[in-house]
Amino acid sequence: MSRTIEDQLLNPQPGSAAARARDFGIDLTLLIRRLELTPEQRANELQRTMRSLAQARLSLQKKGPDSRA
Amino acid sequence: MIELEPTLRLLFGQQVEFVIIGGFAMNLHGSAHVTFDLDVCYERSRANLKRIAAALAPYHPRPRGFPEDLPFIWDEQTLQHGTNFTLITDFGDIDLLGEVSGLGNYEAVLAASIVMPLYGFDCRVLSLDALIIAKRAAGRVKDLMALPELEALREVTQKSED
Repeated sequence: MSRTIEDQLLNPQPGSAAARARDFGIDLTLLIRRLELTPEQRANELQRTMRSLAQARLSLQKKGPDSRA
Repeated sequence: MIELEPTLRLLFGQQVEFVIIGGFAMNLHGSAHVTFDLDVCYERSRANLKRIAAALAPYHPRPRGFPEDLPFIWDEQTLQHGTNFTLITDFGDIDLLGEVSGLGNYEAVLAASIVMPLYGFDCRVLSLDALIIAKRAAGRVKDLMALPELEALREVTQKSED
């Protein structure tokens, strides 16, 4: 019986690429959610993340180096 | 940072022949990797260089990492005299690559791409298999660190297609 993507990522079989990724430190639960999206939804989500990170970086720059401590 | 949708609409609008590669391609396949630029492999015919030059010209492309006042002419000839360009534009950072490590020129990259629907267009995106080959060939730490996630994505998506 074939396993769902969710099951493969939540319970990776020993020796599988998913198991290696998990052991490497990849959060496989993030991939489950990403794979449920369409490519355009993934692109839009990436764009929102980029904007948030760019905004955060700008705020840190405005506050000066001490704020990073 | 790159504004993805307007940049892609520009390229599609001018019928530029290109394939999305790099971090954005990883992301389109489901990776959680965050990138801040758009990497594309472009076809190097004279007609396509003309289309790329026309598409980006209104958005002031210039080489990234150089002084803003560095003299730089953006046109078809500039594109003809180089292969890979790392640019900053009004829409953000875009890398134009004439060839990709481990794969070769545009024709090889095109053959290793798949079509994904994006913003109303059929967009060519490097396949997971080819991304893995390219990352392995590039061999930098950041490329090699992307491999476990890409290989996991390939495994689960291929199994679900079987």
